[in-house]
Amino acid sequence: MGGFLLRRLLQGLLVLWLVTTATFLLIHAAPGGPAVLADPKLSAVERRAIEERLGVDQPLPIQYLRWHARLIRGDLGRSFLYQTPTLATVTSRLPNTLVLVAVALLAALTIAVPVGLAVGTRPGGRLDRLVGLVNFTSLAIPPFWFGILAILLVAARWRLLPAGGMVTPGRADDLADRLAHLVLPVAVLALPLSAELIRFLRAAVATAVNASHVRPAAARGLSPGTVLRRHVARNTLVPLLTVLGLQIPMLVGGAAVTETVFAWPGMGRLSVEAALGRDYPLVMTIALVVAATVVTANLLLDLAYGWADPRIRSEA
Amino acid sequence: MSRRALLAAAIVALAGCRRSGPPSDTLRLALINDPVMNAPLSPDIGSVIINKVIFPGLMRPSDSIVPEPDLATGYRIATDGRRYTFSLRPGVVWHDGKPFTSADVKFTFDQILDPKSGTLQWSDFSVVDSVTVADSLTVDFWLKSPFAPFLTLLGHNAGIIPAHAFTGPIADQVDFNRSHPIGTGPYQVAESVPGSYIVLTANPRYYGARPKLSRIVFKIVPDVNAQVAQLRAAELDLVTLEPANIRGLTDEPDLRIDQVTVPQHYYVGFNQSLPLFKSPTVRRALTLAVNRQAIIDGVMRGYADYPQGTIPVALKEYYADSLPKIPYDTARALALMAEAGWHRSADGSLRNAGGRPFQFTMLVDKGNPSREQTAVAVQQDFKRIGVQADIKTMEFASLVRDYVTPRRHEAYLIWWNTPLDPDQFSYYGTGQSNNDVLYANRTADSLLALGRATLDPARRRAAYLAFQAVEAEDPPVLLLYYPREVQVRRAELKGLPALGIRDALRHAEKLYFTAR
Repeated sequence: MGGFLLRRLLQGLLVLWLVTTATFLLIHAAPGGPAVLADPKLSAVERRAIEERLGVDQPLPIQYLRWHARLIRGDLGRSFLYQTPTLATVTSRLPNTLVLVAVALLAALTIAVPVGLAVGTRPGGRLDRLVGLVNFTSLAIPPFWFGILAILLVAARWRLLPAGGMVTPGRADDLADRLAHLVLPVAVLALPLSAELIRFLRAAVATAVNASHVRPAAARGLSPGTVLRRHVARNTLVPLLTVLGLQIPMLVGGAAVTETVFAWPGMGRLSVEAALGRDYPLVMTIALVVAATVVTANLLLDLAYGWADPRIRSEA
Repeated sequence: MSRRALLAAAIVALAGCRRSGPPSDTLRLALINDPVMNAPLSPDIGSVIINKVIFPGLMRPSDSIVPEPDLATGYRIATDGRRYTFSLRPGVVWHDGKPFTSADVKFTFDQILDPKSGTLQWSDFSVVDSVTVADSLTVDFWLKSPFAPFLTLLGHNAGIIPAHAFTGPIADQVDFNRSHPIGTGPYQVAESVPGSYIVLTANPRYYGARPKLSRIVFKIVPDVNAQVAQLRAAELDLVTLEPANIRGLTDEPDLRIDQVTVPQHYYVGFNQSLPLFKSPTVRRALTLAVNRQAIIDGVMRGYADYPQGTIPVALKEYYADSLPKIPYDTARALALMAEAGWHRSADGSLRNAGGRPFQFTMLVDKGNPSREQTAVAVQQDFKRIGVQADIKTMEFASLVRDYVTPRRHEAYLIWWNTPLDPDQFSYYGTGQSNNDVLYANRTADSLLALGRATLDPARRRAAYLAFQAVEAEDPPVLLLYYPREVQVRRAELKGLPALGIRDALRHAEKLYFTAR
């Protein structure tokens, strides 16, 4: 176990280095440059002063080495756009995204597990066809359009829920207000997520139902509910964990479109702003934080596999 | 009662109670990004807008083109026009209670005059040699040469910041710039949540008229469609929009749409260091070839004015209203092209004696529907006279940094947003820093230099009217339109002066709501 952990840790560090290096190359290869330099009104004097202040007057290899030199001292640099320490900016946005995406994942699971089990046991049935149609539609609808539509109907026409933001300004401690602000963005995020989960669960359940150990269980006279619970559901845990694992980057990286439509101050929006504004230090910090979280989460996920399936544990 | 009926009743009741009630005391506005709340820094439009509310300057924009004293009670100009003496308003206090003095003015301009401070206003005030303090309420500005736009620029973005709040470089004061700015304006920052909103409350010690609202909330809403949705949901009170986003809002009974002229001109710029665009005759022909009224009606949905020269109608008495407008006239365009040596060939394209076609690349920034549609309309109109413009879209930052600044451009669709002053020396004076089209006309140079150096309004006006007459003969750019700023507001919101939003917000204390 200890060797396994050490090996995974070293792999993780290598992944982080690869991710940040690739990010560095990509963002600098993109045309244009820092947003503040995009003002055509700047004179040459101002342009030079800004380039010097931001450090973008240096050749790329120097900028790359400087980033590492600062990293070793624990300094991730200052955002070009916000002029704030990038790590503080990222950590202030991270919880907002965690809340949004975690609640959406939970909502998606709440819908997907019972529905997935139900349609998986009767593939091709009436319910399956209906669910398939709903799933197909919710995966096909662009979240941007769906989000705006939801705001226009629920918030603008019916005035049932707030149209955007995390909280009504000045009511930061009002839990009900915060929950109300969560409903629409969570719905927009959870719908396609649950569709995806249902698809995987349906396949996993359909396979498990026909497995050689399930039919005899039914033959032994166990009730369908017990069969489902004890023999089918358990066997779908591993594929479910895999699909959930695929969502982890979103958990920390954020959902850029949904966050933008609902003016949600999360990581997705921050990443888009940072990339569009060519905020090099901020882009690097986001890449580092997201990659580190994903690497850690994947490690935990691997441990969870062991919990879900003892055979995996013994192999490790 | 069925469950559905109950729900319907609840919805109606909810909607009903939201739609009537006492006048709101909170104004909610949108910013597209987290602002830097420090006037001399103001790196983007969001910062400029909120800083107008927090940081008054020595002057402020007024309904007329002449600015009015703000933190100053008055000023004297030396006869040579190179020294301005401001008497400051006595008894003004900062949001933290400390007194406002001439040291603050000097401190602010010491930052502005040092490009290393991170300011983006250095070029506005590069004519200022130094600022000296005569006594605690008197400041002298020493100019290198007479500079007529000076007072307007003082009221443009030059909000005064408190000397006592800074110990190091102003760009490093994250807490001041992001959370706790200190100004002298009618509203002061009470709460700032990064990425979400900034709440400002009325400043009880404000030196001017008592603010009528108790709060102004700036919400960070980056997406314009989301802004429209929040406006419809009564979660924003005022939004400025592009004509493309207004559709559907015109019939909303709760909303009003105001249009104001703003000092902007949109144009197609031609790099005049290239032989293709050197001839004024060719540039006049290209202007005649574009159906600009069709662009104003079609793309801008009428929310724009037909252009004359580069000085837009928002500049009131400086706009050459009496000059004949250049019409849409393809026959005349072709005649002028022929005069310049470009003739139609058998395939309809314009070619010169060497057989070279009239062809170039026209850059436009990606993502703005009005500009992308305008570019296509211009391209189609050019095609009608046999001119081939190949459109290339790219991010605005790339257009500026990779093409225009290094002069690697042929033609491009862009705009200038200017202070409320006709001075355009830096844009169209030969060899000046913002003359990206590389326009060179000696008469224009001397008129622009005269207009900038003359303080006498009548002589200034004459210089700029003459400049616009020169432009009609030798157009520096192909003018497309002067857009109007479209402000969509809740019907109950009153008191907004007829100015662009950034200038109007320096009058924030006058805004109020009537009962719904």
